[in-house]
Amino acid sequence: MKNKSKKQIGNEIISTDNITKSFGKFQALKGITSKIYEQEVVVVFGPSGSGKSTYIRTLNRLEPHDSGKIIVDGVEITDDVRNLQHVRSNVGMVFQQFNLFPHLSVLRNITLAPQKVKGLKRSDADEIAMNLLKRVGIPEQASKFPSQLSGGQQQRLAIARALAMQPKIMLFDEPTSALDPEMIKEVLDVMTELAESGMTMICVTHEMGFAREVADRFLFFDEGLIVEEGTPDHFFNNPKEDRTKLFLSQIL
Amino acid sequence: MLDQKLKWIFNTFSGSVFNTVISTFCIVLLFFLINNLLGFISNSEWAVVTENRRLLLIGRMPQEEEWRAWSILWISSFLIFSSLKSFVSPSKKELAFISLIVMILCLIFTTESSIFKVSITLLISAFSYFLTKYISNTPIIHKFNKFLIILWIFLVPLIFCLLLIADGPKPTLWGGFLLNIILASVAIGIGFPLGLLFALGRASSLPAIKIACTVYIETIRGAPLVAWLLLAWFVLPKFLPEFWGLNDISVVVRAMIILSAFTSAYTAEVIRGGLQSIPKGQIEAADSLNLNVITKTSIIILPQAIRVVIPALISTFIGVFKDTSLVFILALTDLLQVGRIIPEQDPEFFGKALEALCVVAFMFWIVSIALSNLSSRVEKSMGIGTR
Repeated sequence: MKNKSKKQIGNEIISTDNITKSFGKFQALKGITSKIYEQEVVVVFGPSGSGKSTYIRTLNRLEPHDSGKIIVDGVEITDDVRNLQHVRSNVGMVFQQFNLFPHLSVLRNITLAPQKVKGLKRSDADEIAMNLLKRVGIPEQASKFPSQLSGGQQQRLAIARALAMQPKIMLFDEPTSALDPEMIKEVLDVMTELAESGMTMICVTHEMGFAREVADRFLFFDEGLIVEEGTPDHFFNNPKEDRTKLFLSQIL
Repeated sequence: MLDQKLKWIFNTFSGSVFNTVISTFCIVLLFFLINNLLGFISNSEWAVVTENRRLLLIGRMPQEEEWRAWSILWISSFLIFSSLKSFVSPSKKELAFISLIVMILCLIFTTESSIFKVSITLLISAFSYFLTKYISNTPIIHKFNKFLIILWIFLVPLIFCLLLIADGPKPTLWGGFLLNIILASVAIGIGFPLGLLFALGRASSLPAIKIACTVYIETIRGAPLVAWLLLAWFVLPKFLPEFWGLNDISVVVRAMIILSAFTSAYTAEVIRGGLQSIPKGQIEAADSLNLNVITKTSIIILPQAIRVVIPALISTFIGVFKDTSLVFILALTDLLQVGRIIPEQDPEFFGKALEALCVVAFMFWIVSIALSNLSSRVEKSMGIGTR
C-alpha cells in the first residue's frame, strides 16, 4: 500500500457506455458502462467466459463492439481509420500468449513500431529500446530471438515492446496466465513498477496478491456484465454480491 | 568402429529369416543393376551426344552467335561460384561432389575447338570461388554480397540483353538447355511475385479482389499446362490487340506468359497455405502496435508465411523447371526435344535415344538437385532462433 494514498487520480480517459458484443448467438458483453481515470490501475476479474477479455479488447478495437459508445482519450472508437490510429497509438497491449514476432530479434521487436509508425531513426529507436530493455531487466538479451528467452523474459519483452510506442494507457490481458509459477513474480514486478510510475493500466488478472497491492479499483465481471466494482479493501472485506463472494472464495 | 560395422552387417543378414531373405534379394538386384549399367556405359556410343553438344546446349542458334551463350555462361559461373562461397559455404564433401559434377559436364561437353573457352569457364569459376574465400574475412565482403544479390536480381534481364543486343538471333532460334533455363527463370521471376499478390488477394477481406483472385487461380489450375500452351499457340494471338504487332508476338514470349501465369497460380496456393499458418495473435500484436497494412504484411506476415512453405515453394519451382520441356508444343526445341529429335531424324544416330536422353536427364537432375539443396540451406538459415 506504499504510494497509494499519495497517488493523484486524474481526468477521465476511457469511458464506455452500454457496450455490447456477440459472437454468433453467444452474447459476450451485455451492456458495459465504465469509466477509467488517468493514472488509475484497474483490475478486471471474473470467471471464464464472463467477458473480461472481450471488454479490454474492445478498448483498442481488436474486437469491434456491436453497440454502445467507447471514448478513449477524447476520441470515439468507430470504423473511422484516423480515430482508430489515434486510439491504437495511445493504447499499448500485452497478451496472454506474448505474441512476440518470432522471426525478429529482441531489439527489432521493440524498434519496429517506433521506426515504422513514428518514423524514428534507427539509432534513436535502438536507444529507446535499450533503455526499455534495461527497465524490464533484460538488456543483455537484445540480440537474441524471442524463442531463446524464458517465458517471463518474453512477457517482459512484450511489455517493453508496447511501452516503446509511449502509450498513455496499457491493457494487460491475463499477462501471467501462460507462465510457469516461478516466472510470474518477475513480470508482476515490472507491472508494479509501471503502476508506480503513474501509467494508466487495465489488467485482466487473477493474481489477487498483486491486484490487492497495486490496484486502485476492481471490476468484477460475470456473464457479460459488471456485477460489482469498488476498492480492493471493499472486495476483500465486505463484498456485497453473492456471486462475488462465491468467486472470491474459489480463487483465494 | 570396425567391430560395430561388422556387427551391423551381421545383424542385417542374419537378424531374422525375413531380414536375410530381403537382404539377399536386394544384393542380387543391385548386382544385376550395376552389371547392366556398366554394360550400357561401355557398350553405348556417345557420339550422339558429342556430335550434338551445341544443339543440346543452345539449340539452333547460329555458330557466329555462340559468343552470347559463352558470355552468359561466364557471368553465371562467376555468380554461382562466388555465391557458393559467400552464401552457402559448402563442406569439403559437398565441394568434392560439386567438382565431380563439373568434371562430368566438362567431359561430356568439351570439344577440341571449345577447349580454350571451357578452360576460361573453369578458371572463372575457380577464381570467383577463391576470391570470395579470400575476401570473406575482410570488410569488403558485405559490399560484395550486396553486389552479388543485385547481380542475381538482374541476371535474367542481363541474359536477355546479351541475347538480343547487336541484332541477336530470333528468339525462336533459342533452344536447348539455355531455353529451359531462360523460361524457368522468367516463369519463377515473374510468377513468384505475382503469386504473392494473388495469395494476398485471395486472403483479402475485400470481396471483389478475393473473387477475382480465386477465379484466376482456379481457372489456371483447372486445366493442364499442355492445354494452356496449345491455347497460346492457337488462340492467344487472336485475343491480343493488333497494334504494336502484339498479335504477332514470338512463341517464346507466349511460352513465358503461359509459364508465368501457371507458376503464379500454383505459387499463390502454396503461399496461401503459409498465410493460414500465421497465428491470429501475430496480427493482433501488429494491430495493437498500430502498424499499417503494408508494414504488417511485408514485415510480420509474409516473412513468417513464406518460411513455413519454403519446401513446397521450391518443389513448385522444380516442377516449373521440368515443365519447361513442354514448350515443344510451341515448336520450340528445348533440351528434351533436342534429345528426342536427333535419334529420330538424323540417320547417323538412329536408335541412340537412350544415350541422348541419359544426358538430358542428367542436365535436368543437376538443376533440380541444386534447387532442392538450396531449399534445405535456406530452411536451415531461416530456422536460426525461431520457435
